[in-house]
Amino acid sequence: MNKTLRLLKVCLSQDMSLFKIQSNKVNHKTKVFVPIILALVLAGYMGGYMYTLLEQFKPMNQQSVALSLFAFMFSIVVIFEGLYKASSLLFNCKDDQLLFSLPVDKKTILFVRMFKFYAFEFLFNGMFLGPAMIVYGINMNMTWLFYLLSIIALFILPIIPIVISSFFGFITTYISSKFKGKNLVQTIFTMSILLLVLYISYNAGSLMTVMTNNAQRIEDFITKWYYPVGAYISLVKDFNIITLLIWLLINIVIFVISILIIGKVYFKLNSKMKSVSVVHSKKPYIIKSRSRLVSFVKKEFSRFVSTPVFITNAGFGLVMFVAACVAVSFKYDAIINGLASKMEGVSPDIFMNYMPLALMGLLAFSAFMTSITSSMISLEGKSINILKSLPIKSSMIVLYKVITAMVIMIPCLLLGDIIVFIVFNFDIVSIICILYATILLPFIAELIGIMANLKYPKMDATNDTEVVKQSTSSMVSVFGGMFLATISIGILVGLVQTGLSNGVVQIIFIIIFTILAGLLWLRLTKISDKRFDEIQV
Amino acid sequence: MIEIKNVTKKYGDKVAVDNVSFTVEDGEIFAFIGHNGAGKTTLIKAIVGIHDFDEGEILINGKSIKDDPIACKMDMAFVPDNPELYENMKAIDFINFICDMYDVDQKTREDNIHKYAELFEVENVLNDQILSFSHGMKQKIALIAALAHDPKILIMDEPFVGLDPKAIFDFKKVMNEMVKEGKIVFYSTHILDVAEKLCSKVAIIKKGKLVKTGSMKEVKGDKSLEKVFLELEG
Repeated sequence: MNKTLRLLKVCLSQDMSLFKIQSNKVNHKTKVFVPIILALVLAGYMGGYMYTLLEQFKPMNQQSVALSLFAFMFSIVVIFEGLYKASSLLFNCKDDQLLFSLPVDKKTILFVRMFKFYAFEFLFNGMFLGPAMIVYGINMNMTWLFYLLSIIALFILPIIPIVISSFFGFITTYISSKFKGKNLVQTIFTMSILLLVLYISYNAGSLMTVMTNNAQRIEDFITKWYYPVGAYISLVKDFNIITLLIWLLINIVIFVISILIIGKVYFKLNSKMKSVSVVHSKKPYIIKSRSRLVSFVKKEFSRFVSTPVFITNAGFGLVMFVAACVAVSFKYDAIINGLASKMEGVSPDIFMNYMPLALMGLLAFSAFMTSITSSMISLEGKSINILKSLPIKSSMIVLYKVITAMVIMIPCLLLGDIIVFIVFNFDIVSIICILYATILLPFIAELIGIMANLKYPKMDATNDTEVVKQSTSSMVSVFGGMFLATISIGILVGLVQTGLSNGVVQIIFIIIFTILAGLLWLRLTKISDKRFDEIQV
Repeated sequence: MIEIKNVTKKYGDKVAVDNVSFTVEDGEIFAFIGHNGAGKTTLIKAIVGIHDFDEGEILINGKSIKDDPIACKMDMAFVPDNPELYENMKAIDFINFICDMYDVDQKTREDNIHKYAELFEVENVLNDQILSFSHGMKQKIALIAALAHDPKILIMDEPFVGLDPKAIFDFKKVMNEMVKEGKIVFYSTHILDVAEKLCSKVAIIKKGKLVKTGSMKEVKGDKSLEKVFLELEG
């Protein structure tokens, strides 16, 4: 047990440096400032959202539904997040050689990795759910017991979602280990699961709408079908020490059993994932000179396609954009009539008039929520010294990374645009504005991403998931992207309400973002050389 | 020529390289030796422009690495102690990538890649992914990538680690050929008997300070390099 704890302590101190900002004294304050502000904004947003929900449930005296809804939704979010991460957090890590050579049980290594996975999700759960619980407690004048139970819940609620994600990760790894192109299979399988979950959620939307009409039934549904939240709500309403102990015991036992089950084949499966099928190509090797730009983009692109979590993370938003464009184009009548029927006095024709703006909004949302560059520098790891020794300016290296990200993003966004352009008869101004935005908006997203990564590089990660999903730079980019996406929609809606024509709205919109892109570009050119050169491994 | 003038590099309060000065002339093989943590890698990284340094000056063929890093790097090639290459790339793609960054023309790269791939006996694996390579194989690919652009100065951090005896033998011949052409080979090593036979000049660093430098003959006198090193370290 002592050995397990020591191993856990070492691994956590090594890898849980998510919020450890590497900086000198001069810029420490500015480096810490951004994540803290973002965390506070997020906390405020979650607290505000809980407050809104409580106000809605107040007339029915069903405020506890808001708490169960929050706890349930964040369990779903943890599962969804976990689907991306599980297989690369648990299998084929950089510290495999060190850990598996130690005289410790293989299940202990699995336990340590699952615990690390849990610890990250606990932190995020705390950031999202914690503020909502506090607002609930204050609003409902709860006693200290509620706060104590809620703190316990923050520890307990991520356990089962982690176990579910780990099983999915195990299955994904198991299936992909059977194939030669492991990374490709892993990417496709993970993406398929995510799309399936999204499809089910989409179709369950109508069910949830029906249930929202009867608040008590939502709570019944959640508490009956999802025990961890059900037990928490039951304890909040009527505390019972036996229920508390059973709740703790069940979650811990499930965690332990999952380790025992996965642990049976963990080492074998991990070794299989590590094995590389060496196929000697009989073709003669090709010596070919290319321009620096093409060569660099090729190198970055090969890194992208060989990293499943990188593709899944970036690709999901892009695939969703294309899927949304296809759905709007080919199921327009069903979607619009459905929306119009819910809005009094709004005819389907109005939606048709605003289609270019809707596409612009969707484009902004998809572009700002997809940040590829936010992990491109961190993913270099120790090989960044290769780049630093090359006779090429640091600012050019940074620019090439931005260009690569745009080369990945723009074709997908363009595909969605073209589908919509073909089906809907947009005017020429809208087409030009949207095509311009298709280049401009990803450019802004990637500038923000690379600036975040230059400010918060994480060069010592033990696996790619830590960089792509769990690093400060990816967090800053995601929250920054959410902020910009919200601002974009706000600008479009605000401009429409002034009565301006679609064309003018779009032109103003792209002028605003062109100015933003210009400012970001100026800032990047000013800092990129210095920041890149400061990175040391 | 490499000129190191009063270079100091600190990590916080710790002085990793302390006021070090020496010169490496064209046509020299220069051994840089010292115990683990003495500051060898730190100084090498400063020379090749990977790390900044706090005081002093480093000139590469008369150009400052601080003021004109691109021109300096065009003259140099660097082989790190642990070849952290792009594992997702094929070996030939990695070498091509390095050549592209150095603007190597097609003929030069063809000649050099063929020559060194044949020498290190890796021609049949150049189309394979680096991920499948052993440490020694990666080291060979790193050496080919470094040599492919015909550098005037070759800087290496413990280049023999992981190489098989034949590769070490062949590479020593390459180093000798390079210096005959007036080029510089500068490397850190712990294999003192090889350094003694191969190098014309040597520098010994201890706790960040240069304790002895000069021609091999001057430094070791009638003793072996190993003995001199151990006496200085003692």
